[in-house]
Amino acid sequence: MVRTWSAVREDLRASRILLRAGWRAAMTYRVSFLSTIVGGVALQGTQLLFIGVLLSKFNVIHGWRFNDIALLFAMRLAAHAFYVVPFGALFSIDQAIQQGDVDRYLLRPAGIYLQVVTRYAPLMALGDMLLGFGSLALFAPQSSVSWTPGKVAFLIAALIGGGLVEAGLQTFLAGLSFRMTSTTSLRILADDTITRFSSYPLTMFSRWGFLSLTFIFPMAFIAYLPATVLLGRTDQLPIPAWLAYISPCGGLVVFTTGLAFFNRMIRQYNSPGS
Amino acid sequence: MYVDTLNTRLIGLRGLYRAGYRSVLAYRADLLFGVVGLVIQATLTVVVWRVLYAGHDEVAGIGSSTAVAYAVLAACIQSVVMPWQFSSLPQRVIRGQIGVDMMRPRSLISQNLAQAVGTMVGRLPIGAAGLITGLALGGVQAPHSLLDLLAWVVSMVLGIANIMTINLLVSMTAFWTLEIGGVLILYRFGSAFLSGALIPLWFMPGWLQPIISWLPFQAQIYAPLSIWFGTRHGAELLGTLAVQLGWVLVLFLLLQLVWRRAVHKVVVLGG
Repeated sequence: MVRTWSAVREDLRASRILLRAGWRAAMTYRVSFLSTIVGGVALQGTQLLFIGVLLSKFNVIHGWRFNDIALLFAMRLAAHAFYVVPFGALFSIDQAIQQGDVDRYLLRPAGIYLQVVTRYAPLMALGDMLLGFGSLALFAPQSSVSWTPGKVAFLIAALIGGGLVEAGLQTFLAGLSFRMTSTTSLRILADDTITRFSSYPLTMFSRWGFLSLTFIFPMAFIAYLPATVLLGRTDQLPIPAWLAYISPCGGLVVFTTGLAFFNRMIRQYNSPGS
Repeated sequence: MYVDTLNTRLIGLRGLYRAGYRSVLAYRADLLFGVVGLVIQATLTVVVWRVLYAGHDEVAGIGSSTAVAYAVLAACIQSVVMPWQFSSLPQRVIRGQIGVDMMRPRSLISQNLAQAVGTMVGRLPIGAAGLITGLALGGVQAPHSLLDLLAWVVSMVLGIANIMTINLLVSMTAFWTLEIGGVLILYRFGSAFLSGALIPLWFMPGWLQPIISWLPFQAQIYAPLSIWFGTRHGAELLGTLAVQLGWVLVLFLLLQLVWRRAVHKVVVLGG
């Protein structure tokens, strides 16, 4: 089936309406609004504390100095914001299926995926965003990158691409929910692994570790590969340098694959009956 | 005539313990991913700490093998005793099931603690998988002496009692407000950091160490593990255990106080 431009426009209109409703609902309760954002900051903030404490004692990780690790860390946090702000509601896919919400989504004139990701506004994501962009603003100027307009443009593309890598991975795993009762722990595992380990120089996990984190679980595309380009460290990679230069496009590939898988899996959907 | 002996009390709680245990085993896939996840994370953790130590013999007086072993053991213990869903209480308040809980002939506190113990026992295979991974990679050290091992067991039990009591205290916020998602996340990650589950206190900056050592969280994971690695002897060892016991008593007293106030706040939703 060929999707026409008007269908895309319909989807955009639907997502605008759904998003506005979601965010308005989320902001109704002020105290919960604030405490949820603080929760988001705490979630990523502990990781920041972790790296900060380590670097204050060890100074260098795998040949990377404090300021460059900080840049890598900030890039991964900011990229995470590009995933979790628009797509954060994907987290509740299991409930959407178990509570029979997907039955209703099937009846409405908008895509299922669109309705799942606009199910509610992921408030906590604002905390992620605050911390991500804040630390990027703080650490990017201190890194050893000599910033040029071209590099800034590359950075922005890389952040959006990194967000799409995470979104694609989570979309892929969410697709499994149409077959399995619970995929929450699997998705938390993916999220947690990315949170804990994607802001290290990934070549430290030996050749095979690095290759699997690039081509099987493509975590390297989130921040590490683009960071090697910005820092002029592509010669350390066991893969051709051009792959690092086009790494921002990795997000498109991963996301398209994830979405295609999700849409295929919808056919397996069995209503829980309600 | 019904006599409320210790035995009948325990029978009731055993059912709740079993419920907690089974709630872990019922979702086989979740348990499996937990195991796979910890195997992957333990492996990566060993690599991270070994790479960090490249070019250093000792940092803050701690050698590479101790630091690696600490990180692996802490991750294993954390996976068992600090589950993501650490209490069903907030959910039960939101769904109104709390009304039924309160009618049972056992106190709400003991019901919840029994269930939490069940959940932890159910999660033991996850920790075991991480431990085996650590052993296979040569990243785990045994305690120096049998005495250290015994002291560790006592200290770990006190640490777990500490965790369960604070978990329940935090969960009781649900009696005052239902929107506690943010509070729970803040607590989850804050306590993971302050308990030494992520980094031992040895590596914390000098100004932070005294603050953390005055908080109850360090008695959860850092204290037992520092005993495991034989860094406490004689009076210092007994002092650590006494502080841990003290915290458990204080926290439990606090829990009773909070619960007494919460009783007046309970709203059984949909009841």
